[in-house]
Amino acid sequence: MHGSGAVAGIGESTYYKRGESPHTEFQLACIAIRRAVEDAGLQLADVDGFVSYTDQRNTPSRLARALGLKELRWTGIPWAGGGNSMAAAVQIADAAVTAGYARHVVVFRALAQGQFGRFGQAAGSGGGGAYMAGPLAWNGTYGILTPAHQCALHTARFMHDHGISQEALCEIALACYANAQRNPRALRRGQPLTRAAYHASRWIVKPFHLYDCCPENDGAAAAVVTTIERARDLRQRPATIAAAASGIGPQFGAFDVATLGSAHYGQVGKHLWEQAGCGPQDVDVAQFYENFTGPVLMALCEMGFTSPEGLEEFVSGGRLVGPDAAFPFNTSGGNIGEAYIHGFEMINESVRQIRGDSTCQVKHVERALVVAGPGYAPGSAVLFGAPA
Amino acid sequence: MKRVLGENWALPSLDARNRDFFTAGVLTLQQCTRCSHVQHPPEDVCEACGSFDLGRFVSAGNGRIESVAVVTQAVHLLLADRVPYAIILVSVADAPGILVAGNVVGKDPEAVAIGDHVRVVFEEARDPRTGAVLKIPQWQVVVA
Repeated sequence: MHGSGAVAGIGESTYYKRGESPHTEFQLACIAIRRAVEDAGLQLADVDGFVSYTDQRNTPSRLARALGLKELRWTGIPWAGGGNSMAAAVQIADAAVTAGYARHVVVFRALAQGQFGRFGQAAGSGGGGAYMAGPLAWNGTYGILTPAHQCALHTARFMHDHGISQEALCEIALACYANAQRNPRALRRGQPLTRAAYHASRWIVKPFHLYDCCPENDGAAAAVVTTIERARDLRQRPATIAAAASGIGPQFGAFDVATLGSAHYGQVGKHLWEQAGCGPQDVDVAQFYENFTGPVLMALCEMGFTSPEGLEEFVSGGRLVGPDAAFPFNTSGGNIGEAYIHGFEMINESVRQIRGDSTCQVKHVERALVVAGPGYAPGSAVLFGAPA
Repeated sequence: MKRVLGENWALPSLDARNRDFFTAGVLTLQQCTRCSHVQHPPEDVCEACGSFDLGRFVSAGNGRIESVAVVTQAVHLLLADRVPYAIILVSVADAPGILVAGNVVGKDPEAVAIGDHVRVVFEEARDPRTGAVLKIPQWQVVVA
């Protein structure tokens, strides 16, 4: 059983390099939400719910006042560490419109890291004399301070266990950069990446080179979720929410012996495919959240697209690049190539693929998958479908 | 022993849950007094039986490196002259299922490998705020 929601409208601000936005984070949120509502052919007064994720600073009541809503009936935010709950936010909106708790729920992400500092910045980076308090003590005392460090420890173990080479990580970065060259919204457009430049780039935390890590950006993106029935009467071709899953288990910690070297996506994949009544082989195009390249490799395996033994071949030889790729992947450029909007740019790209107006458009898209931030748990994923 | 990440690097802020781990001078984990389950990091509840009666388990301090990454770009000013340093996750021989984070003492970080056997050692520090003496667990590779 899953919801009967659909995305009726999408919008985004211009994307900026960190600190270069002329607008505040709240203004960026307002821009993206207004555009998504307009794209759907709705009025702001039709919106009656907001969902975001993970420490979203732009609160529903502030947005409702600024945007002139008539009433607010549904707000929600999934608990999680970061972009891992990006698809879970869509799931919460889907649940709301399916149950009738709200009619038009806007899901969004806005961030101005120039204004507020970097998401995921190092603990205690305010300066000297810092202490590692509470949960930070166990890792921060040892200089394990950032998501890059945590994801590197999982990736290193995965590579060790399965003999995965540095080239596999490189292929993810190369695909994101290559696809970004087609996308006018992409911040890395005009800056193609070569294999040589990847390997020549400095290490951040081995096994991650500079180009294994997504940049820091400012911007906002939003999507309007409503029921499939209502969406059919609106301006755009709906992208149905064919399935959505979030979860983790039976290990729940960031570092557990049994799940070391994992993106924690086994449960997400199991539940997603059960709901969807289809499998990885039925996906026409996929967006995988890459805060770092390594966890994408683990998630590709855990979601059932390949096995650790087949992984190197699966990602190599240009098999991820372009609209005619063997596996069309991160077609907008993703966090690495388009912009790091905590993955929400991938929701909008998937809706474009269903509509048929991506800048890297795959032919005959019936199913478009988004896998949210692997590496932190609980993870989430959403499968969009073409309307019947 | 001097601190791997420098004498000025951030100290753990001692509290009821972490005081034993960071001050005992032997590898001290949390153990349920009812069912003997050992867990880390410490929690308010036994994750095996639900008991609130939690005590100490003193480990012999032998382990194996389960993952290692080498930090090459400092993300804090106090670590600028400490990179590269190895961050590791260690499984503890007499507490199966547990991973403890740490650094490696006395070895080129690039030469640290998954599967290396390690033994706990302690770096000492005095908290200038409270005067407390800390003995922070770290790991030394054991040559077979």
